[in-house]
Amino acid sequence: MVSKEMVLKARARKEFGSKNAAKTRLAGRIPAIVYGHGQKPEAIVLDEHDFAEGIHHGHRLFDVEVDGKREKLLVKDVQFDYLGRKIIHADLIRVDLSERVKVQVRLVFKGTPVGAQEGGLLEEHLDRMEIECAVTDIPESIDVSVKGLKVGDSLHARDVQLPQGVKLITGPNALLIACHLPAAPVVEEAAAAVEEPIAPEVITERKPKEGEEETEEEKK
Amino acid sequence: MKGNACRMNYVAFGEYGLQSLEMSWVTGKQIEAGRVAASHFLERVGKVYIRIFPHKSITKKPLETRMGKGKAEVEQWVACVKPGMVMFEIGGVSEDVAKRALARVSHKMPVRCRLVTRGHTIG
Repeated sequence: MVSKEMVLKARARKEFGSKNAAKTRLAGRIPAIVYGHGQKPEAIVLDEHDFAEGIHHGHRLFDVEVDGKREKLLVKDVQFDYLGRKIIHADLIRVDLSERVKVQVRLVFKGTPVGAQEGGLLEEHLDRMEIECAVTDIPESIDVSVKGLKVGDSLHARDVQLPQGVKLITGPNALLIACHLPAAPVVEEAAAAVEEPIAPEVITERKPKEGEEETEEEKK
Repeated sequence: MKGNACRMNYVAFGEYGLQSLEMSWVTGKQIEAGRVAASHFLERVGKVYIRIFPHKSITKKPLETRMGKGKAEVEQWVACVKPGMVMFEIGGVSEDVAKRALARVSHKMPVRCRLVTRGHTIG
């Protein structure tokens, strides 16, 4: 759990549009939007380095100072560039510290399952889960132990041990991870048994006329 | 074909992916070569996902043929790959094994590639 609260300095954004956004990004800043609590949406500019550092360290809740006014903001969405390297835009939502929010939290699968030693393959179906918790108690990630998984076993959302005060929002039957034997290889003999492909019929080939056929027969 | 990948630019099924950094047509033969390279290296361990499919037909007139006489025959089938597109994914293996398997796949691709892992988005 990330206990530290991060303070970010921002300023109101007055220039809109993709060209201005591109200029902002070139200058090392990120365009962002703040909304929520029935107030008017506010376009702001954040420092790219500070914000990215906070995100990579698992911060979700930021104390953002916009032109001298401080607000508690929760990261609602982050957009990355086409390569997934740089943050290009962020959605921040206004929250109260007493409030409960729904967030997506990353799952970290820990341990080597028993089934893997028996030749089983571990297949991840979900890598994040939606939970509801207090704003101050948002976990950075949820650890899920997969040590006990045998071949044919699977873990569902309902099997995850959640921290205290955290409620599961994702469907309890959602499949998280499964251990199964790899698919049987395709028998190559069957492929070898197939005869060589017959040349396709040429549709446009000139067909001999009736008269020509007769002449050929006569020749014979 | 222009622009960057707005979809298929994240790892969706496996844990590690091979992301294109350039734009190109990837032929069905190249995709198959990549699949064979990965599955031979993995030796039935892990799972290989192919995210691209050669939907586009490319025609070519035979050599020493005069122009005209209609459209030529289909010579090959290609997938249109844009920068950022995740072409191959691997799951169920360690990072080191996935890295080496995808490096072999990247040699079969006509584009520069890089290895990517799951989990960029924040909900």
